[in-house]
Amino acid sequence: MPFVVLHLRHKIIKYKGLIFRVCYYKITTCKDFMNTILIPGDLIETDVARNRNYYFTDGNNSYCTSMCILNNGRLVPLEGLWYPNEGETVVGVVKEVKNSIVEVDLSHFLRAIIIKSPRDRIAFRIGDIIEASVKQVEDKKTIILIFPRLLKSGQLLQVKAVKVPRIIGKNNTMVGQISSFTKSNIIIGYNGLIYIKGGDMALAVSAILKVAAEAHKPGLTESVKKFLERELEVTEK
Amino acid sequence: MANMLNKPELLRDDGKRLDGRDLDELRPLSIKANVLKNAAGSAYTEWGNNKVLAAVYGPKEVVPRHFLDPERAVIKCRYAMAPFSSLSDHGRSGPNRRAIEISKVTKEVFDNVVMLEEFPETAIEISIEILQSDGGTRAAGITTAAVALANAGIPMKDLVYSVSAGKIKDKIILDLDMLEDNYSDADMPVAVSPRTGNILLLQMDGELTRQELNLGLDTILEAGKQISKIQRQALIDVYE
Repeated sequence: MPFVVLHLRHKIIKYKGLIFRVCYYKITTCKDFMNTILIPGDLIETDVARNRNYYFTDGNNSYCTSMCILNNGRLVPLEGLWYPNEGETVVGVVKEVKNSIVEVDLSHFLRAIIIKSPRDRIAFRIGDIIEASVKQVEDKKTIILIFPRLLKSGQLLQVKAVKVPRIIGKNNTMVGQISSFTKSNIIIGYNGLIYIKGGDMALAVSAILKVAAEAHKPGLTESVKKFLERELEVTEK
Repeated sequence: MANMLNKPELLRDDGKRLDGRDLDELRPLSIKANVLKNAAGSAYTEWGNNKVLAAVYGPKEVVPRHFLDPERAVIKCRYAMAPFSSLSDHGRSGPNRRAIEISKVTKEVFDNVVMLEEFPETAIEISIEILQSDGGTRAAGITTAAVALANAGIPMKDLVYSVSAGKIKDKIILDLDMLEDNYSDADMPVAVSPRTGNILLLQMDGELTRQELNLGLDTILEAGKQISKIQRQALIDVYE
């Protein structure tokens, strides 16, 4: 359904040595404002809520830098990389254990480390799967992790990091639904690594991959619910 | 090197080119994105008889370490023609002189649009493989690699395209094929950033007057709208 969108614009006008700033509205029609796909270099309208990592500004205008979708006036990335933020949960694999630090592989271009403290009770070994929180990112080069926790005897699944918010869902609805149907314990890292343990792990993996593949489609919670119900029915028969 | 003494007639009596195209007409172009499972991003292009595959990996660790830049990412580009891609020899191992040159100019095109400062101390790898060649493969490679980069989610300021213009008997032609490439009076591959209109690559083989150069660039910019549209559709088709 076509939408009419009002964009607030301003112009600087010089007249007789005086500088005026004139504000006006530009009216455009958008064929489908809900699901417009943007590609790198596309102009972003002024009234769109933007994710700071997926646009750049040139003059008065903002342009998209990755494949994004306009969803209810929000700029949601379809493709892109994970930009770590403080407090985000990550899942990773211990890559190297040194005297003072532990290096963790987060399947990401940044180096991730845990700084050891004498009070730590965890004995890290290479290959251990861990869950941790991002403390800070130093100079866009190193992620410092805190609160590590060992995860044992489960499965590790990797998806694109931009799909993670959809897998988690609003107020954890999507992951909660998958957990309750499959009876699995699911820990989702914002870096795209997902740890699954117990219950019907194969079904949980299928459901998560389905969410990742259809993350841009509306009504996903309902369709995943139907998918899980159908699959469980087949298993019971 | 083509023998110019046996130069074939490149324009028909009706003013069209040997393959029936108008002077400013592109060859049929189709692009498909996300064709390789293991790459971060990929694209496959059929442009006339050219068949090009591009894959993007990264950002990842820089190897060897002396290429590392502490302020920004480095782009490593590899353009290669498959041994079976053309009539002439491309079978020896490793890149030849021409492939090294095209890899370099392709890297410089993407240096201008990829937001490299976001990923210091990393490398972004672009591999372009020419499976079948029929002239204009560097332009096809750049156009395909741009789609692959967007498919990989590498932040870019624009989706670049590239196409060549040339000259036959004082007439400017667009998108030269192999025969025209070898025997035309001039050949000029150009890469353009469509958002700003900036020219990111301009090479020329032959001679063009200033007016002919401007006319060639105008023809390229006009045809670029069509190429950009096909690139956009290829990226959107992944989600439909």
